[in-house]
Formats: sequence, structure tokens, C-alpha cells
Amino acid sequence: MTAKPTARIVRLFEDNLIFLSLIGIVAFFGLASDRFLSLTTLSTLLNQLPALTVVAIGMTLVLISGAIDLSVGSVLALCAGVVGGCMTLFGMPLPLAAGIGILAGALAGLANGSLGAYLRLPIFIVTLGMLEVARGLAYLVTDSQTVYLGARVQSFAVPIWGIGVSASFLTALALVIAFEYLLRSTVFGRQIVAVGSNESAAEVSGIDPKRVRCTVLVISGALAGLGGLMNASYLGSADPNAGVGMELSAIAAAVIGGTSLMGGRGSVVGAFIGVLIVSVLQIGLAQIGITEPTKRVITGAVIILAVILDRWRADSR
Amino acid sequence: MPQSATTANAAEPGSRERKPPAIAARGICKSFATQVLRNVDLRIAAGSIHGLVGENGAGKSTLAKIMVGLEQPDSGSLSLAGAAYQPRSTSESLKAGVALCTQELSLIDDLSIADNLLLPASSAARPRGRARIRRKLAHQYAMQSLARVGLEHASPAMRVGRLSLAEKQLVEVARALATGAALLVLDEPTSALTAPQADRLHEILREQANAGVAVIYVSHRLGDVLEVCDHISVLRDGEVRLTSSSDELSEAILIREMAGVDADLEASERNAVAALPVHLSVQELRTAELPHPISFECRWGEILGIAGLAGSGRTELLRAIFGLDKRLGGVVRLHVDGTWVELHSTRQAIRGGVGLVAEDRASDGVFRDQGLAFNVTVAGLRRIAGRVGRLIRSRETSAVGALVRELRVKSDGIDQPMRTLSGGNQQRAMLGRWLHCDAKLLLLDEPTRGVDVAAKLAIHEELVRLRDAGRSIVAVSSELDELASLCDRIIVLSNRKLVREFQRSELHQEDILAAAFSEYA
Repeated sequence: MTAKPTARIVRLFEDNLIFLSLIGIVAFFGLASDRFLSLTTLSTLLNQLPALTVVAIGMTLVLISGAIDLSVGSVLALCAGVVGGCMTLFGMPLPLAAGIGILAGALAGLANGSLGAYLRLPIFIVTLGMLEVARGLAYLVTDSQTVYLGARVQSFAVPIWGIGVSASFLTALALVIAFEYLLRSTVFGRQIVAVGSNESAAEVSGIDPKRVRCTVLVISGALAGLGGLMNASYLGSADPNAGVGMELSAIAAAVIGGTSLMGGRGSVVGAFIGVLIVSVLQIGLAQIGITEPTKRVITGAVIILAVILDRWRADSR
Repeated sequence: MPQSATTANAAEPGSRERKPPAIAARGICKSFATQVLRNVDLRIAAGSIHGLVGENGAGKSTLAKIMVGLEQPDSGSLSLAGAAYQPRSTSESLKAGVALCTQELSLIDDLSIADNLLLPASSAARPRGRARIRRKLAHQYAMQSLARVGLEHASPAMRVGRLSLAEKQLVEVARALATGAALLVLDEPTSALTAPQADRLHEILREQANAGVAVIYVSHRLGDVLEVCDHISVLRDGEVRLTSSSDELSEAILIREMAGVDADLEASERNAVAALPVHLSVQELRTAELPHPISFECRWGEILGIAGLAGSGRTELLRAIFGLDKRLGGVVRLHVDGTWVELHSTRQAIRGGVGLVAEDRASDGVFRDQGLAFNVTVAGLRRIAGRVGRLIRSRETSAVGALVRELRVKSDGIDQPMRTLSGGNQQRAMLGRWLHCDAKLLLLDEPTRGVDVAAKLAIHEELVRLRDAGRSIVAVSSELDELASLCDRIIVLSNRKLVREFQRSELHQEDILAAAFSEYA
């Protein structure tokens, strides 16, 4: 409040560091490639984002609560498979199949939450186990084949005429805003931060850490389920190999966005910008002709750089 | 000052020949938030067992830690067998031949007994410069070490986590003995031991002393100290008040010296509270930590003190009342709005208007990376929320603002990170957390721990003001003068039992201390 103007500018710069980084990266690719700053690129980018975005939202909440969820990629594939199975085997309409798919994700999250929070098993190991279990189940429900669904599901993912983005993307964006609001401005959001920040102090304050963590893992599972639906509509099929390694991309996006792996700190909007940074790098590097191996090296380096910057920012306070 | 205190500075235990003492401390001072040790001089001769006694917070453990390099003194010096000695870590002190056996057990549960015994770098089975442990040698070595402390039946391969507390304590002693140290520092070595086990330990210590080892023996059990030690020093408020041969001492003298000259506590002008209605009733309360049923009452508008030594079950009692620890029996009832409510959980207690400020603020109190407002409102979020759990920022701002003014918390705005506030201001914020919930009964565990003297007095004033405004307070404190100046009544815990109750009019520091020590005989 009483800080000098220059200090305020520095502070403003620090607080929006990742957003500025995103602009910097976009500007770099804009200069480096004359095809980058185009509507085609933007549309490609935005329409492949939704699945990772919703998964990253769940991951961010889980990390802030001081837990981790390694199962999201597999749960995403399982739920895509469930949606596909419901539609092809039982001929269900999309909304019903989608509901069942998301419910399947929530159940996987409930299993994670009950074992991790209530039975006090290490959540890292529980969700690592679920990563295998859900992947196996995804192969079982799809009979290890990609289930073709076609136009029935693609309506969700095709750009809406006139706005250029899909319903899928709009849903993801709305969820980013809704969950950021949940985190900042609701009783439950505060409880998540409290549990991740100091579990035993939260308990003394009358908050039940088990219930909070379990709920957050259910949310993460349900969002992975939604991610499965988005993935299936993007591809027009349910692929049991979908989402391999997605847990790591989601963690990377959350961390780039300023979420602490130790819990108690983070932002959903930050994670969304993290998703944008990772995706822009993928597309931009491809356009300027960088090969896949080099792309991975650069992406990994960017993740580490983000953590270094974040640490520096935290220490300077 | 009593005449015996004059002998304190001339601490000259063992009128032995001119040989340098095994360890000598000169003018040791140490401060944390407050001064813990003031100008401590101590000389301990080789071959003698030297007792160190004092109230909680008198500085015994800090002095022990300084001797093994776990803490560094602010000023003053140590010498070991005549040579300067400045340990910076336990590995340095071990090399110099000083071993510590702590109150907080330092064994690793997941390792075997043998592995634990081998942890100190200087163990015989791990010759210097050799990282590889030789199994057979280690096994033999462990067998010998265990036999020495009467644990012949234990297998060296057994995981330490499977041992009882008493057995762990013996393993810890075995480990200290096995380092072949010339000076052994034992901090409460018998707290978990049965009488025969303690006797066995005392025999071992005597053997060690006869072999020329110097032993420093810190304990609450005055009977043991008098029996085992050659010399005893009494610490009070970080100063050595008395050092004398144990033949010339008795339990009564030790208690008098620990309590100090101002044994009649200053009583404030408050009237008896016996006529007030009961607010909290605890009946036959038992937990795993408190095996003996505890019953007491706290009245409306009363400050009830809980005295007792560290580890006497004070913290556990507050936690059990607040529903944090599982109860094995008993009833906790609260008088709210004219009816009795039974408390079973923390959430119920909070809803009934109870708040707990924990002793360990860092681990059970503050959210250090979150803001002041977050910390104040966290237990009563519903009070600043609208429908469906939506937080209303303007309500939070005004509620926190009012409390910050009322409690005079100094901060640069309500979102200042908690970790950047001073200890006193953090503690006020902890009180604010419960005032925000409109708590009528405050359970305070060491309410002025880790705050400076001025902040301490201010917190005392605050508590009296809260009481006068009609709230009830149950306060645990290690400082008898704090309890005396604050409390209307004091109950005393000793070795996890409730042993005595004192009315305001009958507060004598010596009696309270005697009660606090009574179950450790």
C-alpha cells in the first residue's frame, strides 16, 4: 500500500511473470516463423488444449492440498473407453454416456482418496497403482482397440461457426474460471489451501484433512473423466492409449503456473497459462523446424527454468 | 538470595587432585527469544556423576545440547580435559569423546538395533575411514552393547520400531556407552524405565564413573538424582543456583532452590470463583497418553491453570478435551446456552465455542506462508461466507480489521504473510482466530512460549481482559509465576496423573513444585 511506485512496478512484473513469459514466447515464435501468428495456428492450439487443461485444473487442486495424482492420464483413457463402450455397445446418447464416463473418473478418484486419505496409504503409491489399474481397465473395456465413434462425439470438439473455438474449449475455459473462483473465494477453497499448507494446524482449526483431500482427488478423477470425453471427441474415437504421460504434462503445467509441490500454494489460472506455454512451445518449435528430441530437451529445460524463477520470486518476498 | 546460592559460583565439585576437570563450562550464555542460560559455570570431574536439576525451562536441556554441539553458546567457553572445546555438531563432540543420550529418542525406527548402534561415526565396528559395515563384527558388537544394558534377550537384527519405549531408551543408552566416550551426557535417561531397569542403568553409570568416565545426569526424578549422583547443581532461570555434594542435599532443599526465594507467589486481588457456574466439566477422561482418569471443572469467567513438568500430560489433556486425540473413556461436557452439550469431536468443540492455541505454534498453529487474514478466519470461515460457501471479502476485511485493532496485532495490512510477523504478534493472531469464532472457552497451551518479555506481559493483560469480558480460560504453563499471576485456580499434573488442586489463596511455588514432582518418585 505504501510501497514506492518503482517497487510496485517490480511487484506487478513479478506477479505476472508467467503471463509475460507466455507473451514473450509467442512474440519469439511470431518473429521466428512467418506462419506462426495466424488464425490456423491459434485454432489448432486452442482446440487441442481442453483435455490437458481440465486435467491440469484437477492436478493443481490436488497439489495445493499437499497430495499428488499420478493416475490422471490412465483414468482419462479409461473414461474415454467407457464413453465409447456406452455409445457403441449400449447405443446410449452422448450426454448419458458422457455422464457415465465422468462418473467412472470420479469413482477412480474416490478409490484414490479413500485409500490415500482414510487408510493413510502413501498417495504417491496409491495413484501410481491406479495408473496401472485404470490403464488395464481401459484396454479391457475397449478390447485393446481404438473404438471408432465418428461424428456422434465430434460435435463437442469442432469449432463453433462464427467464434472459431469448440464447445470443448469453452467448457475448459469456464472451468478454469470456476475453479479459480472456488480456490480463492469459497470456504472449500480455503480449506484446500489450509490442509496443504499445514495439515495439523488445519485439524486444530476444525478442518477434516481426510475429507478435504479425498474430495479433491474425486474432483481430479472426475475432471480426468471429462478430459477423456474431450479427448474422444477431438479424435472421434476412444483410444485406450490416450493420455500416456499426461500426468507429467499436467504437473509441469501446474508447476510452471506457480503451484508448489509441497502444497499450500498455487493457482488454477496459472496452471492454464502453464498449459498454454507448454502447448505454444510444442507448436512453435515444430513450426520453426526443431526436431522431436530437441523439442523435448527444450520443454524440459523450460519446466526447470520456471521452478527456478518461482523460487527466486518466493525468496525475494 | 539464600546463603546456599553463594556457593554456586565457587562450583568446585570433587576436591580431587589438581587434575583438570573432565569438562568445565565458563560463563556460558544462550538466548533464544528469551535468555535461557546466564553465565553458567560448571566443572565436572572425571569419574564423577553430576546431577543437573531444575524446573521446566531452567536451561538444563539447552546446557546439555551445548555440550554436544547441538547448540552454540552466545558467549562463554567450554574446555574438555583442560583443552579448549568448541563442538559445532554431534559428530565433532563424539570425536572429542562426548556422547549424549537424549530425551527425544534419536533412534531410527526402521533400522535394526545393530544398525542403530552403528550410526555414530566412531563405532568400533566401523573403523575410521571405512564406510562398509562388517556384518559379523556388527552383530557381535551389538550383542555386547545390549548385554551391557540388560537387553540380552533382544536380537540385534530386530527393528527398533518393534521395541517398547523403555527398551528404546536402553538401546539409546547402550549406543552412548558404546562410543567409548569420556563424558556421557544423559538427559532424562530413565523417564520410560521401570524401577529395576533404572536401577540397572544406575549401576552401569556407577561402573562407568569408576572407570574414569564423567557423567552428567539430567532428571526430574529427584530421588534418583540424590541416590546416583556425587554432586548436584540446581539451575533456575538459566543460572546455577547451587552446586553441592549430594550427601548435603535433600529433596526439600532441591525443591526450595528450584522454586527460588520468592516462593510465596504474588496473588492478584481477584475474589474466589467458587460461586460461578461450571462451564467445562471433564469426568474420568482417559486416552492412550493419559492412562489415569482425570476429572476437573472450569467455571465461567475463570482462568484455570494447569501446572506440571514437561511430559506430564498437560498438552495431551488439552488435546483430548478438544477432540484431537482419541479418548478411551470419560465424558467432556460444555455448558452452552443453559444446556449441557457432550463434546466428541474438534468440530463440535469449535461449534460449542471452544478454541485451542497449541504449544507448538509452528506445527499446530500458524499457516506460515498464508496471510494474517487467512490465519485468523480459517477456523470460522462460515462467519465470513454467504450462501453456498462463497467468501465475502468485505466481511473478512472488517472482521479481521476489528480483531487486529482489538488485539493490537502489528502488521502491514491483513494479508501480510504470517511468517514475517513476530512471535508475539503471531500469538495474538492465534487468539484472534478463536475470538473470530466467538469462542467462550479458550484452551491455551504455553500461551507465552517463544515471545519476548514485553509481549508476554501484554498477552497476560489480554488474557485477563478476555476473562473479565466473561470468557473462561484453561492455561497450561511451565512458568509458575505466569500461572500465579494469571490464574484463579491451578491443577497440577504429575506423571500423567492429576495430583492436586490449589486455590488462588494457597499458591506456594514450593508446594506446586513438590506436587509436580510427586509422581516421579
